[in-house]
Amino acid sequence: MLPDGAIDAQRIWKRFRADRIPRSLREIADVGRPRSRGWRWALRDVDLQIDPGESVALIGANGSGKSTLLKILNGVMDPYAGTLDVRGRVGALIEVRTGIHPQLTGRQNVYIYGALIGMSRREVTQRFDEIVAFSEVEQAIDRHVKFYSSGMQMRLGFAVAAFLDPHIMLVDEVLAVGDASFQQRCLDKLRDMLANGTTLVFVSHDLAAVEASCRRGVLLEDGRVTADDAVHTVLKQYRKTVEQTALHTVGSDDPFRVLEASAHAPDGGLVHSEGTLAVRLSVAAPESRVVSACIGVSEGTAAPVIVVRRDLTLAAGTTEIACDLERVPLPKGRYSVWFGAFEGSGADLVPWRPVTDVDVYGPDLDPSPNGVVRLAPVHVSTRWETG
Amino acid sequence: MGQTDPMVRPPLDEPPAELRYRRRIAPLRSLRELWHARELMWALGEREFQARYAQTWLGIGWALITPILLMLVFMVFVNRVVSVNTHGAPYSVWVYLGLLPWTFFSSTVSRGGQILVFESSVLNKVRCPREVFPLSSLIVAGYDFALSVFVLGLLFLITGYEPHTAAIWVPLLLLIQVAFCAGVALGLSVLVVFVRDIGQAIPLMLQLGLFATPVAYDISAIPEKWQPVYAALNPLVGVIQGYRDTMLYGLHPPWRLVIPSAIAACVYLVGGYLLFKRLEPGIADVA
Repeated sequence: MLPDGAIDAQRIWKRFRADRIPRSLREIADVGRPRSRGWRWALRDVDLQIDPGESVALIGANGSGKSTLLKILNGVMDPYAGTLDVRGRVGALIEVRTGIHPQLTGRQNVYIYGALIGMSRREVTQRFDEIVAFSEVEQAIDRHVKFYSSGMQMRLGFAVAAFLDPHIMLVDEVLAVGDASFQQRCLDKLRDMLANGTTLVFVSHDLAAVEASCRRGVLLEDGRVTADDAVHTVLKQYRKTVEQTALHTVGSDDPFRVLEASAHAPDGGLVHSEGTLAVRLSVAAPESRVVSACIGVSEGTAAPVIVVRRDLTLAAGTTEIACDLERVPLPKGRYSVWFGAFEGSGADLVPWRPVTDVDVYGPDLDPSPNGVVRLAPVHVSTRWETG
Repeated sequence: MGQTDPMVRPPLDEPPAELRYRRRIAPLRSLRELWHARELMWALGEREFQARYAQTWLGIGWALITPILLMLVFMVFVNRVVSVNTHGAPYSVWVYLGLLPWTFFSSTVSRGGQILVFESSVLNKVRCPREVFPLSSLIVAGYDFALSVFVLGLLFLITGYEPHTAAIWVPLLLLIQVAFCAGVALGLSVLVVFVRDIGQAIPLMLQLGLFATPVAYDISAIPEKWQPVYAALNPLVGVIQGYRDTMLYGLHPPWRLVIPSAIAACVYLVGGYLLFKRLEPGIADVA
């Protein structure tokens, strides 16, 4: 018998219909003929054992099965095959507008959610004020949730799931909306819950938030678990796979394309923090064209830390572009260099893609307080004094 | 973490048959979950009831208009053309007693049958027993029913016809009515999710159903020996006939009709529930 807060999912499979949708009225009218039936496997043989109090991030590209797995753990969906044991009360925030029903009031939503996860009215009442205060919907608590702003809906959804003392907390893309200070409060609350022994399963494309709140990472690729390890290790592997797919696009057959790309110090040596990063590109063009060229630097696949832009002329044939980024404020680490070329109208000539990697040498970034998400890794020289 | 490395297993294209996930239908646990979800059921029902009549001129008057209007239609047309033998009771009260359960049934089924499709966005996010949704339509219909009963009281006053004390049997008949409607709503709602054609057919079936139920005509229109069969096929027969016999004539409920109806209602309820539970796991996938 597993303790409350434990999850034991073994060999979980899940499939969805992948029927062709009839495209014309004639196809719809064609009743007699059997439609082509297909299935798409969303999860294949997924094992996931989680002990009470663990914090686990599900990481993976869109369509890799993260949300499906979360829905199965939440009991909203049933797996096609496998065995599943989820112990204890489950609080879930799946999709932004969770809560129970948009056409019920905030107050009703809170009480009904509590009842559904097996709490008595009294227990919910004890926590009611806390929930309302955290979600900042005091004025609107007796209004229908459908009249809430999306931020209010998300805050109430999070507060309801988090404050009703779940043994297991499932969070999917919670931080997508909501202002920065609320995001921070959510992460603080999650950290509190973790300290009190709540199990956390977290899905987000915000890798920084994932890294800040989870210790363990599970990488899903095409419905399979391909890595299950400390979150840093798994994130590193994830970034690498994403970069590899991105780099494939360099050297395609498009008329405008990047033939070669490299990034290093101006002398060809190692790049250091606050040193110069020299980017060298050869770009092929079928005709002479004035373009707006952009170069960016990102940590992994996240939003770039640096973007620079310059209008320049691509000659017919091959053009060599050299750009030196001076005093780059990057801490030690591996970065992707991005390139894109655009017409005046903004249309893509060369689509915005990572074209090469660069390792930067220098001091490590200082660790941030637990649960605090750094927006981007920026290195700043510091001088401290204590009086 | 200490788990088995998935790499040890060869990657498969499909799960081996013995791994198929089978959800056991555990009636006791399901009923407990339903009990926890009762508040959601009430809230959904109340909300629907309020929302339906909010922002309308007549408000809850609309809940009364359907049975009253049908009653008038039957009074003017049916009763003129084929005069129905009501054994001395006013035709208005007599036909209204048939319309009450019928309206309850048709409102439960027309709303309950479609509700899983309407509420699909909620189904995909919240873990709750799904039968809450079709069952909540019983609550909406129940509100309407309560209002209509009020009108029934008025009708008795207006016509000066006194209801009989055998009306103590009414709760039993009501129970049959609710069980039958719940069973049909449960079964239909889950079937509609998988076969959308059924959803299109519901209004049509309800229109035909009004004629397959002895609302406007008397049960004596059916040959005596077929009457129990009729009552078993359509449990509303026993219910309506029961209401009339007890309230209008002070008789005992016509057991030879009520018993087949009661048994059939139980079969509908259990069958609808089992069908629902059997197909429930797939609802979130297609809804």
